[in-house]
Amino acid sequence: MTTQSLKVTSPRALARARKRQSAARFWKSYRSHKGGLWGLGLLFLIALVAILAPVLVGEDSQSVTDAPGGPLEGPSGEFPLGTDQFGRSVLALVVYGARVSLTVGLLAAFLCVAIGTVIGIVAGHFRGWYSTVLMRITDWFLVMPTLVLAIALATVMDRSMWTVIIAIGVTTWPTTARLVRAQTLAVESRPYIERARALGGGHGHIMTRHVLPNVMPLVLAQTTMIISSAILTEATLAFLGLSDPTITSWGGMLQDAREAGAVSAGDWWYLAPPGIAIAVVALSFTLCGRAVESVLNPKLGVRS
Amino acid sequence: MNNEAQQDRHHRTARPARRGARILLAAGAAAFTLTAGLATPLNPAPQQAEAKADGKKTLTVAVAQSVDSLSPFLAQRLLSTSILRLTNEFLTNYDPKDNHVVPGFATEWKSSPDKLTWTYTIRSDSKWTDGQKATAKDAAFTFNKMMTDEGAATANGSFVGNFKKVTAPSDTQLVIELKKPQATMTALDVPIVPEHIWKDVKDYSKFNNDEKFPIVGNGPFELTAYKTDQYVKLRANKDFWRKSEKPQFDEIVFKTYKDQDAAVAALRKGEVSFVAGSPALTPAQAASLKGEKNIKVNEGPGRRFYAIAVNPGWKTKDGKKFGDGNKALLDKRVRQALFRSVDTKAIVDKVFQGHAVQGEGYIPPRFSEYFWKPTDSQKLSYDTAAAGKLLDEAGYPLKDGKRVGKDGKPLDLRMLCHATDPNDKAVGKYLKEWWGKIGVGLKLNCVDDVSVPWYAGEYDLAFDGWSVNPDPDFVLGIHTCAALPIKARETAATDNGICDKTYDDLYNKQLAEYDPAKRADYVKQMESWLYDSGYMNVMAYPNAVEAYRTDQIKSIQTMPTAAGNIYGQDGYWSWWSAEPATASDSSDSGSSSSTGVVIGIVIAALVVIGGGVFVMRRRRTTADDRE
Repeated sequence: MTTQSLKVTSPRALARARKRQSAARFWKSYRSHKGGLWGLGLLFLIALVAILAPVLVGEDSQSVTDAPGGPLEGPSGEFPLGTDQFGRSVLALVVYGARVSLTVGLLAAFLCVAIGTVIGIVAGHFRGWYSTVLMRITDWFLVMPTLVLAIALATVMDRSMWTVIIAIGVTTWPTTARLVRAQTLAVESRPYIERARALGGGHGHIMTRHVLPNVMPLVLAQTTMIISSAILTEATLAFLGLSDPTITSWGGMLQDAREAGAVSAGDWWYLAPPGIAIAVVALSFTLCGRAVESVLNPKLGVRS
Repeated sequence: MNNEAQQDRHHRTARPARRGARILLAAGAAAFTLTAGLATPLNPAPQQAEAKADGKKTLTVAVAQSVDSLSPFLAQRLLSTSILRLTNEFLTNYDPKDNHVVPGFATEWKSSPDKLTWTYTIRSDSKWTDGQKATAKDAAFTFNKMMTDEGAATANGSFVGNFKKVTAPSDTQLVIELKKPQATMTALDVPIVPEHIWKDVKDYSKFNNDEKFPIVGNGPFELTAYKTDQYVKLRANKDFWRKSEKPQFDEIVFKTYKDQDAAVAALRKGEVSFVAGSPALTPAQAASLKGEKNIKVNEGPGRRFYAIAVNPGWKTKDGKKFGDGNKALLDKRVRQALFRSVDTKAIVDKVFQGHAVQGEGYIPPRFSEYFWKPTDSQKLSYDTAAAGKLLDEAGYPLKDGKRVGKDGKPLDLRMLCHATDPNDKAVGKYLKEWWGKIGVGLKLNCVDDVSVPWYAGEYDLAFDGWSVNPDPDFVLGIHTCAALPIKARETAATDNGICDKTYDDLYNKQLAEYDPAKRADYVKQMESWLYDSGYMNVMAYPNAVEAYRTDQIKSIQTMPTAAGNIYGQDGYWSWWSAEPATASDSSDSGSSSSTGVVIGIVIAALVVIGGGVFVMRRRRTTADDRE
């Protein structure tokens, strides 16, 4: 690869080669983190299961009217993880629940990081009162207990999956904003920014062409870390009954189980699988996140 | 009557505080399952609640509801009105065997030939707990206060709306003059208050009677202490005129458990003697408690109906329209089509798992004299094809699997559900699929406080349910035009904004009819009208499912005696009749399930292993970082 990139001459091809090169370096470094590989493998498996859910467990397994089993049956050959109070297979529900948990986790984390990055870069770029106002708003959100704020939001809005995504997204961005602002300040103090400015680079140019690419690694690492907390928050909100009750999610399953009285009846097969599933997905994302973080951590430099 | 009948709306909306407990529970899914497994095995030996040092026998009742007020003029929730039943006398009471009216504070009553003057003989052996005699003057004061002070009419005002004059010519005689005949005169469910205490109250609409304890009353129990959302303590009134032949509990404590599973766990451990469930124990809880030693699960036909209310287009009293109910529902055929595609049998079998009776008329079969059934030709039985035909006729043909109206818009409906009621969500799942099959879309809108969109008329369909009293006047009155709000969005007596002349005429006829058979006939005609209208579609009558410890309560009166309920009776019978168990009544209980222990340990092991792996990862990464 290195020899290849030497041959090409056009700047675009050069940039492409450089990107390819750094991706390869990234992967090589990532590969050395065993935990990260485990996490990635698990995630791949879970994503595959979520996508193939209709094939794996049947399309109508979420239907209550055509439920095949009796209420709260224990694990058996037909239902490996037992049934819920409507007679649906818990295994099938856990498989379908993966779809909602992953979707909400990813979208909410994306929303959170997007807000955080925009605010962080703007606050870091424009000093003075812009920055002060933005950072005070950030501080205000930072001291607000996330869960309480998310519950308040989810209560006033309609109960749906999108509400949960928005509620998580708009309550968890402050840490990202602070991180990104700090990195922006560091990047902007470099001499080449001054040069760019002297050559006539405007605010937009500097923020998008120079600062953003430099904070991207940090943002990427932050995203993977936030996904796991977003999934946990989604499960919590669904468990608190703030999600759409007609969709199947892991948190919602725990809520259904609790409302059916499965806890005091000791119907563990209804409680344990969604709980373990939440833990496994959150763990996988955390493992990936930590690996990405240690690969990209700017303090450690790029390791080969 | 209205206080108890109103319980359902309130009780279903009034549990936001439960959230706190839920957040705790949500702390972590793994931790949650862990405690679930360990809760029982860690405390296998039930504590003997009655074996207290001072020898006092205490009956503890786990309740989920909060007390809205301890003032008899304001209290409307089931818990508060049940407590007032214990602390204050009512003019009349209901027999625990078959609900017929029996003497209470009044020993006899008669009406004048013109049906407009009622004379009650008040008992002379009733005393307030501060030693003063309770007389007819106290009763007259109570009714007069409600007639003259709007704040005092909040809870029970509907009883006195038709009163002309209330007087007490002597200590033992109460005379009520009416404007029009009123059939509910022997069912005036109004707690009588002591005049010498209450005459000094300034603002009846704000005074909650929770400042000075003990509270002066003349019922079988005296309220001694109350702490919001924690407990209400009552002490037996030894001077009460009705004496029980059996030993009684010295103290009754209503303890608040916002989480039903926590209440069930407390019952298992013996911390509480009785769990009412709100509104009932779940099938899983009942099934698991049935196998336990020293615990009896009591199931009786419920007083409630559980229905789908359809927005009829809300109006104020002077006819101003408000709200945003779907226009399609103004067509009776659409309403009937929706209900014809609801399989009430499946709801009873699957959601209630047999702990309910299939719905028919408006009043539950428990009140046999008023129970009404649709005739075969009238019955809106479960028939998807017929429902589809009705929708075709109404102008909603099927297009690509969706019912489309003349304006080209698909028929999509919103349904208001109580976020705190698991049955609403469960039934909602079924409705969504059933209606999906006939091409009607449904979106469940589950909120903690339904009263805001409800009184604004901003819903298409809603889950609705009321407890019915032995006298059905109240639950019938909430569908009359007189109950409509004065201003839009204002809280009103109406349940579902229904206003119809035929129904109102029948209502007035039944209220003025003193002959029970004729009155029942009018009531049945009203039920028939309601059924046909498709505004109130009764799906089921849920049973009361409750449980108590037999090593703490030896016996307790159910109402009606044969297969009745214990909590929320019309009268003070259950707690008054409860007999404490002696030590010999408890059989040795070592029956706590060992599976719980195994599961707890397995999950604990999983958590420990998971945690271990995680910690190791962390240590390795930090080691990496240090390089």
